[in-house]
Amino acid sequence: MKISKKIVDNLKKGGVDFYVSVPCKLLANMIDILEKDKDIYYSAVPREEEGMGICAGAYLGDKFPCIMMQNTGIGNSVNAIVSLLQLYQMPVIFLISYRGTPGEPVGAQGGMAKVTEDILQTLRIPMLHCSSVKDIDKIPTFSNHAKVVESPVAILCDFNLMKDDR
Amino acid sequence: MNRFELLNNLQNILNDNLVICNIGLPSQELYKINDQSNFFYMLGSMGLSSSIGLGLSLSQTKQVISIDGDGSVLMNMNTLATIGNRAPSNYTLLIIDNGSYGSTGDQRTFTDEKTSLKDVAIGAGCKKVIECSGEETANELSKAIDDKNNSYVIISKINSGNVKIDPIPLNPITIRDRFRKFIGSVKYL
Repeated sequence: MKISKKIVDNLKKGGVDFYVSVPCKLLANMIDILEKDKDIYYSAVPREEEGMGICAGAYLGDKFPCIMMQNTGIGNSVNAIVSLLQLYQMPVIFLISYRGTPGEPVGAQGGMAKVTEDILQTLRIPMLHCSSVKDIDKIPTFSNHAKVVESPVAILCDFNLMKDDR
Repeated sequence: MNRFELLNNLQNILNDNLVICNIGLPSQELYKINDQSNFFYMLGSMGLSSSIGLGLSLSQTKQVISIDGDGSVLMNMNTLATIGNRAPSNYTLLIIDNGSYGSTGDQRTFTDEKTSLKDVAIGAGCKKVIECSGEETANELSKAIDDKNNSYVIISKINSGNVKIDPIPLNPITIRDRFRKFIGSVKYL
């Protein structure tokens, strides 16, 4: 819970005030925290691509949105990222639980893990890789960077960082 | 009635509200009829008009109308569940249902066969779901906007068919910035 709270606190410190998520067990604590937080908007959404659209609308309405999802969600969202968020230069935070990284018990998650950073790199999406607790302190500056460069950005949270956050 | 005639009919209602308009011919026709800064034209991301409008309606208090198509809603059908559970009363989804993929050569969609978007929307949890003819749409849309307590899904059943039209000449950042200026989200323009 400590790590999840620290991530949420740092996102809020960066100005993020609108959250949607497609769940992951590594995001469960963050979802719990956000559901109880009256200062921000939070909702679940059924699919990541749809969440990208909702975030685009929230940005138009002057919110600073974040979509929380597994890295698999990037695979579901490539066209929405390129032909909506990037085409109109919309700052949106992708808070990604990086399934399939070392510590992951489910072998099948390894496939998307192997290509996740390549996809983000191909899309020219700035990345912040959080593998230890001190990386979380970089979130406010990194979030502000999304606004400055008017671009979606990705925060990748490693399996081993999140797995013990009970 | 086809989509161009319907959009013409709706101008007085669209004028005063935030409009998210679907990619392709719907946006091009709307632009040709009466270009306004409160119209957000989609230049990509087919399927997401309803979602962009939902995010916008959750973020500010002005009335939002998402103009969508049957083909696009079929592509992002989970949107109806999110709308059924989360849409605030300043949100209206107008599905222009002509039973065809108009922008790609009028191939038939499943709403021209067995699928009823009205039944899907009701099943997904949307409370106020209206299916009407093109001729009735202006009146139904007006009533939906005047109702300050409910969001609506309106399915306007019209004929397929397109008018000859050019692509929108505006660049995406222009569309974005003048739309955000209309809302009051940017101060620098």
